[in-house]
Amino acid sequence: MGVISRGTKNAFRNGVRSLSVILILSIAIGLTLVMYMSLQTVQAKIDSVKSNIGNTITVSPAGIRGFEGGGDLLSQDSVSKISQIDNVTKVVSTLMDHLTDNTNLQPAQEAGGFGRRQQMGTSSNTITNSNQTESANHDFKMPIMISATNDLSTTLNLNVSKFDITSGEKFDAGTSDNVALIGTSLASKNNLASGSTFQAYDKDVKVVGIVDTGNTFGNSQIFMPIRALQTLSGQTDQINSVLVQVASVDKIDAVQTKLKDQFQDKADIVSSQDTSKQAVAPLENIKTISLYCLIGSLIAGGIILFLTMIMIVRERRREIGVLKAIGASNLLVTTQFAVEALVLTISSSIVGIILGTFLSNPILKVLVSNNTETAGRAGQGAADSHMMMMRVGAGIINGAQGALRDLSATVGISIILYGLLAAIVIAILGSVIPSFIIAKISPAEVMRSE
Amino acid sequence: MIKIKNLSKTFKSGEIQVKAVNNLTIQIPDGIFCAIIGKSGSGKSTLLSLMGALDRPSSGLIEVNGHDIGKMPDSKLIAYRRDTIGFVFQGYNLVPNLSARENVVLPMEFAGIPREERIQRAQGLLKEVGITQEKFSRMQARLSGGEQQRVAIARALANKPSLILADEPTGNLDSATGKVIVDLLKDLAKKEKTTIIAVTHDQSIARSSELTFKLQDGKLV
Repeated sequence: MGVISRGTKNAFRNGVRSLSVILILSIAIGLTLVMYMSLQTVQAKIDSVKSNIGNTITVSPAGIRGFEGGGDLLSQDSVSKISQIDNVTKVVSTLMDHLTDNTNLQPAQEAGGFGRRQQMGTSSNTITNSNQTESANHDFKMPIMISATNDLSTTLNLNVSKFDITSGEKFDAGTSDNVALIGTSLASKNNLASGSTFQAYDKDVKVVGIVDTGNTFGNSQIFMPIRALQTLSGQTDQINSVLVQVASVDKIDAVQTKLKDQFQDKADIVSSQDTSKQAVAPLENIKTISLYCLIGSLIAGGIILFLTMIMIVRERRREIGVLKAIGASNLLVTTQFAVEALVLTISSSIVGIILGTFLSNPILKVLVSNNTETAGRAGQGAADSHMMMMRVGAGIINGAQGALRDLSATVGISIILYGLLAAIVIAILGSVIPSFIIAKISPAEVMRSE
Repeated sequence: MIKIKNLSKTFKSGEIQVKAVNNLTIQIPDGIFCAIIGKSGSGKSTLLSLMGALDRPSSGLIEVNGHDIGKMPDSKLIAYRRDTIGFVFQGYNLVPNLSARENVVLPMEFAGIPREERIQRAQGLLKEVGITQEKFSRMQARLSGGEQQRVAIARALANKPSLILADEPTGNLDSATGKVIVDLLKDLAKKEKTTIIAVTHDQSIARSSELTFKLQDGKLV
């Protein structure tokens, strides 16, 4: 019988105690694994959210974010300078407006209670008595939104989940012709098809295609070339917001700084990374909790094993003395006890991995549910705003909330290997001091205690 | 030959220095059965510890087979205890979760003797000390006191030591079993030409020994 088989046999010498130690240690190891899995899953999701958000910066008139009225719209001249900044690969301008009476179109959506309330709150016509209020509610017509862009190769600035042309074709975004793409709902409501015309700002506008944007808001809109809308709406050279695409994520800060220098306090400049920080904040919370719990459970496991080994070594002082008296070296005796500690931790790891497999998802769900509320509040705050940029932000945050709901931990070979590695680390942590005690035990003391 | 000259061992008990062995000088020839007697606290077990290199002397010379074990480095002391000395303890001190055979195999495993050889030798020694084959696989708890001490003697003989140190070998046995154990030790001493030094209270062991030292307060009387 060698030192390894002796150590293994000793690990199960006291059945009840061994079982108790394995059970307690397996909970610590299981928790370590669960936290490691959570950490990995959350980190992967953070990376995924960040990569999806991309490397863009949004420039919008100062004050527009909080829907406090905002400052002056951006001018075409100032926007033109953006493309001259190093590492800027694309500049997409957006102008938004809405049609109310100056069109022959009917809105795709009826105004609900919320819509009417919003209209009242934002209307310049103050309604002072209840009769007038009822009358205003009855006559109120939902405005039809128009989003205009100078580049249809990206639709991130349009706040749509997709931009599928269901009939007709896209327009040339650089043209000043009065052409438009119509959302499916608006087209259906007004019997519009590719080739039809409608009136906007008392001018004829030709429908070149019908577009499915994947959401009701987008499908109730009109999309036009920016120069055409600028002319029609009398907002020549004016722009609502600019989406700046940067060559790479690591250049975002530098470009953002230059944009701030250029626009000073006349524009709000928010990068996708700023938005992503808000979006992934709940994930970062889970990551932090997981990391602390991982470290805590690893230390707890080490302490459990340390105390167990101290108890075992103290109990077996005489036996250690006997082994030394009959020719065992310190190294040999220490190795035997280290094997014993390792067997206990590996047994615990097996149980811990099984526990971790069953507990990882429920624990992750608890962590997520405690943090989703925060994300929800952040997302709702953004969604309340009407401004395009904030809608983009809200979309990202809502995406992150979706990411939170989609979190799911899985046990793979790497997790099992990490579990065994955790066992070895715990065994080493728990055996170091007992080893010193073993080395100090003198066989002569055993003789004297007889 | 064991030569002990001006040997002293001092322990600190609180603020007081206790001389367990006090300037002791003795010589023990090879191949004899030697008894060391004395009252509790007379220093006989300490002397045995020093001869067995379980402890280091405070001063003086302790020479076994020409080697001054008091000055040996720790690494050589391990080999000395393993190859030169066999210990028999009053409480048997068998490893509890090992069988009789595994206990006898243990010192040979430490000495690096091949597995087959050590099992053969362990079984031979167990037979020699009177353990029947069906008890080879029994754990300590399933052996009587006398049987445990026989296994302990077989273990002490495992690496063919030149010196067996027995600390109260009959202390936990009834007088009849004690006599059998003493006779067994004496027979082995003759047969294996091994020196046996037994620390004991038992006057009958002292009477039957070839050489007896009596200690009192760490000194020879």
